[in-house]
Amino acid sequence: MRSPLPPPPPRFRAPLRAGPSAARWRWGGGGMQRAVGSLPLGPALRARLAAAGFQTAQELLDTGPCGLSREIGISKEEALEALQVVRQECSGDAARTAGGAGTTRKCTALELLEEEQAQGFIITFCSALDNILGGGVQLTKITEVCGAPGVGKTQLCMQLAVDVQIPECFGGVCGEAVFIDTEGSFMVDRVVDIAAACVQHCRLIAEAHQEEDHQKALETFSLESILSHIYYFRCRDYIELLAQVYLLPDFLSEHSKVRLVVIDGIAFPFRHDFEDLSLRTRLLNGLAQQLIIIANDHKSAVVLTNQMTTRIGQSQSTLVPALGESWGHAATVRLIFHWDKSQRLATLYKSPSQKESTIPYTITPHGFRDVQPPAVTQNTESTEMNPRKRPRREEEK
Amino acid sequence: MAAKKLRRAKLPQELCERLSRYQITTCQDFLCLSLLELMKVTGQSYRNVQKLLCQVSLACAPKMQTAYEMKVRRSVNPSSAFLSTTLHSLDEVLHGGVPCGSLTEITSPPGCGKTQFCILMSVLATLPVSMGGLDGAVVYIDTESAFSAERLVEIAGNRFPAYFDSDEKLFCMTRSIHLYRELTCDSVLKRIKSLEEEIISKKVKLIIIDSVASVVRKEFDTQLQGNLAERSNFLARGASLLKYLAEEFSIPVILTNQITTSLSNGLAIPADLVSPADDLFLSEVSGAPGSGKKESGCVTAALGNTWSHSVNTRLILQYHNLPTRQILVAKSPVAPFSVFFYTIEKSGLVLQDGKDQSSLTQEGTNPALQTIQVRNTVLKNTLVDAALPSSTGAAPGDPSNP
Repeated sequence: MRSPLPPPPPRFRAPLRAGPSAARWRWGGGGMQRAVGSLPLGPALRARLAAAGFQTAQELLDTGPCGLSREIGISKEEALEALQVVRQECSGDAARTAGGAGTTRKCTALELLEEEQAQGFIITFCSALDNILGGGVQLTKITEVCGAPGVGKTQLCMQLAVDVQIPECFGGVCGEAVFIDTEGSFMVDRVVDIAAACVQHCRLIAEAHQEEDHQKALETFSLESILSHIYYFRCRDYIELLAQVYLLPDFLSEHSKVRLVVIDGIAFPFRHDFEDLSLRTRLLNGLAQQLIIIANDHKSAVVLTNQMTTRIGQSQSTLVPALGESWGHAATVRLIFHWDKSQRLATLYKSPSQKESTIPYTITPHGFRDVQPPAVTQNTESTEMNPRKRPRREEEK
Repeated sequence: MAAKKLRRAKLPQELCERLSRYQITTCQDFLCLSLLELMKVTGQSYRNVQKLLCQVSLACAPKMQTAYEMKVRRSVNPSSAFLSTTLHSLDEVLHGGVPCGSLTEITSPPGCGKTQFCILMSVLATLPVSMGGLDGAVVYIDTESAFSAERLVEIAGNRFPAYFDSDEKLFCMTRSIHLYRELTCDSVLKRIKSLEEEIISKKVKLIIIDSVASVVRKEFDTQLQGNLAERSNFLARGASLLKYLAEEFSIPVILTNQITTSLSNGLAIPADLVSPADDLFLSEVSGAPGSGKKESGCVTAALGNTWSHSVNTRLILQYHNLPTRQILVAKSPVAPFSVFFYTIEKSGLVLQDGKDQSSLTQEGTNPALQTIQVRNTVLKNTLVDAALPSSTGAAPGDPSNP
């Protein structure tokens, strides 16, 4: 490490402005006046720049790569790389302040409302569940499903992986699905059954309506195409899960039609082998952040399943969702599946726009369904309410 | 996977050396750090650190397959997806039999037939593929010393008399069943870890652990502070190891479990949104609690909630009328809740067809809380119990006289 350089003569520096206002101006400004400490350069490099006296990005750009390499004692290539990073950051800043699109995340509530109304829902084939969710599993939101073992969480996930692929003319979002499995409970044979029932259902609708785009959509909506568009990853421990979530944005950019990411069993890899609970909380929070970014940027729904754990109280013990209290903040919408003797119930536990309610559901050989009979009649005429919601039919039972 | 060294993730050499100075040598250490910490430790810019993160993730992440590829692979080799149990109706409901690549649990009260079922499955696994077997060896981890070689030979001889017509074939079969006696939790875990090499060298096609519950309950007293968490930890670790073996080699894994009494205390169940029943496994009573306790209790599978999550399929054996017993499919990703009747004969388990087959009803309940009928309910003396409140769980059939 070289000895720190003597302060350079003033003519190589922009004149220092005295006074507190100058400091504020340098720190808070974007673009060329951005302070060196806030640039995304390596920490060692930043330390050297600070020691050499550089304060704003403009100074760096004025000095040029050769001057920079001489002053700080780095190679010319490193200096060039640093300057390129600086240039990119500053032009990005300028674009942002000029109100450019892309990475801006600000908009008015009206724009948001329009977006939300145009937003698709992924239906679950259980009309009662769709109703309490406000139309189905919503895109760009994280939905968490908790439940006791064997209650139907994986069945719902498999159903959604099929339903996301329903073509738009039948009321679906026509997307693909990513299925990340940590428990090994994904059964291809079951997905085949569910997909076959779904195709049959759409076929019946097409026959009843006899429209051309229905027929055309049915040609591409077959069993093979449904199965080929479910991308399956089997993660055996939490490191593989973390690695896969880091790689997901690239994967989703390549497969831009993905509209659903399912992580079946987010609790399982985190519930053993963890002595350090604070590390677990940190990793889970990081995971939640990345999933929120994925959900928003790629306009897809993220569905997670969680286990239940026994919390021993003083006189009794209750079943609560696993992974602790802080995890409860990660999901936007939370569903709890539970049993009432031999009836399966789903409760909407947390939602920003719908009220808490409980409905019964059942699992049939065709998949996730209502408990018979569903209220069919009022839905057939209400298509003007939500043009994407296709009418239900009796034949699906 | 996690313990993969960073230099195998194709990171540049000097970077690995620099990281090892901070004790970051494996992918696990690398991925557990936040971005700022990574920047500090590697001395690289934000963008470079993201690229490094992607590189390390690529080294750890699983391979992608589409569901279609999985289906094609299974249909190419249909016999290898299941181990048929030769109980015809059960196989039908389970879409073939005991599934390969996942964990199947058999729970029952003592003496109902768990070990008989396991012995039967061992015989079946050694049969050639043409007869519905897997043509391989069996690893049998016995923690209760309940395995009987004579019974094994008896079942084989009586069930497949045409095949096992010579002593030679019987010897061949018995030679391929490898029995391990483990008596503590640690040794069971060690044995499971060592199985990977054994499976490859001995061409093992079935793993049976009989039983998980006995060794766990001997060592962990859940009334002591902290033991519940340790027990769940051990079970979860064992389950994930077994799942890894099952999936890696595409073989079935059968585990047996015991029963316990689940008591709900007399308090009014709060109307909250979590499970209505209280999960309080206090006393580990095996047998009917016919002692006049005021609380209503029911007999269910042991080892708690987390274990119920870890197994993929749960079959429950219970008593009906002596000598008939029932087999229930309580949890399965492919099968609905179903009930079958069987008896235990010389040739192992035999299903009774056509006797009140209530298959395909969706009447199951929480597999962790499914009530199980035990033997004493059937032999109950009606005179004595008229005075006591009945404290066994509601069961579909009533305990009529034997």
